[in-house]
Amino acid sequence: MRARILSRFHSIALCVIAGISGYGSAARAEDASSWRDIETKYIFGFTTGSGIGLEGEKEFTVDSIGRFGKRDGNYAATETKYEFEFTPSQFIQIEFGALGSTHNIGGVTDLDDRNQVALAGGFAEFRYLALERTSNNPLAVTLAVEPTVRRIDETSGERVRNFEFETTVNADLELMRNRLYAGFNLLYEPEVTQMLTGETQREATFGGSAALSFRLASNVVLGGEVWYLRHYDAANLTSFTGDAVMLGPTLYLRFTPKMFMTAAWNAQVWGREIGNPVSLNLAEFQRHRAKLKFAWEF
Amino acid sequence: MSKVTDMTRKLALAALCATATLGVSPSQAQQATELRLTYSNGQFQPNQVSAPADKPVTFRIKNLDAKAMEFESTSLRVEKVVAANSEGVINVRALKPGRYEFYDDFNDKARGALTVQ
Repeated sequence: MRARILSRFHSIALCVIAGISGYGSAARAEDASSWRDIETKYIFGFTTGSGIGLEGEKEFTVDSIGRFGKRDGNYAATETKYEFEFTPSQFIQIEFGALGSTHNIGGVTDLDDRNQVALAGGFAEFRYLALERTSNNPLAVTLAVEPTVRRIDETSGERVRNFEFETTVNADLELMRNRLYAGFNLLYEPEVTQMLTGETQREATFGGSAALSFRLASNVVLGGEVWYLRHYDAANLTSFTGDAVMLGPTLYLRFTPKMFMTAAWNAQVWGREIGNPVSLNLAEFQRHRAKLKFAWEF
Repeated sequence: MSKVTDMTRKLALAALCATATLGVSPSQAQQATELRLTYSNGQFQPNQVSAPADKPVTFRIKNLDAKAMEFESTSLRVEKVVAANSEGVINVRALKPGRYEFYDDFNDKARGALTVQ
């Protein structure tokens, strides 16, 4: 299963590379000053830009995140958002949708072996543009909250009742007109999980990211991002259990004015588990994660 | 029963007032600057317009072509399809000083810009 998922990501990556090499030659001849402004929300990979779309715009997206690799055994889990988003005003964006998940787990310490596909839950997201970019101000900031309800645990695939409330600050900076962008996220994600045994777990993830994206052609953006994430066994950030640094490349590709994709891959390059003197934090985070998103605007 | 009906009426009135208050933002309450553009032969006319800062803007676009166009701008954060031989109205929030580009999403060559000062 994991091999199939990785193989699917590899095939898509090859198609994308072929596409980019075609666009590369066109990029050299193009003048960035003639390009249209770009919507920054999806150009930074796992890092979310400040964009909120255009008033009246609607979009359907399929957004998959895969997580691969634990300390031992085989571990592959994906969560896919089937999402509808719309922008009712020039300052607010609303999104909602369903979550699907897959888990393929074998021989991982503390996790049951599992091979399943499930409807995992639902979510909604509210985004407010707090500071807008103009030709005189390169910085834009959006505040976002995303309540999520799950019936399948993201990591283990077990039946649970999970409530998560992700809160983020999404900022980006246009460093070179129409060419170079920096993105920054600040994340606070408390959650509570009720197990079928009746046990309740509270936890939180806190962290931030920095990303840099270069617009190679009017419809191709390449970049890289780094995430620093801390995990706590309490929503109020009092019981620290470990942290990790994830690093990797990002890609944004617009096929037509109304259709685009974004892809990203992060590898854990540093991490620690409190009370366990091993390298990397594979208890709370994964060795690799990948993101692939397709969107259709209408 | 009448208490319930009375309460329902009060709630409906409160909801109506709240909707009305949310619907009319301070910027919309201000007099908007109206900008009239025509679109013909795949071009905006005029394609350079200006407006004062901190006031809302209303674009009135008359599409004289025989096919639809989509007025769109990432920096203005608006889009609207204007059918062939018809007029579209686009309301934009009060803007800060700067240059805001707009275009026809169906025709890459049709460009224009609003300068706010």
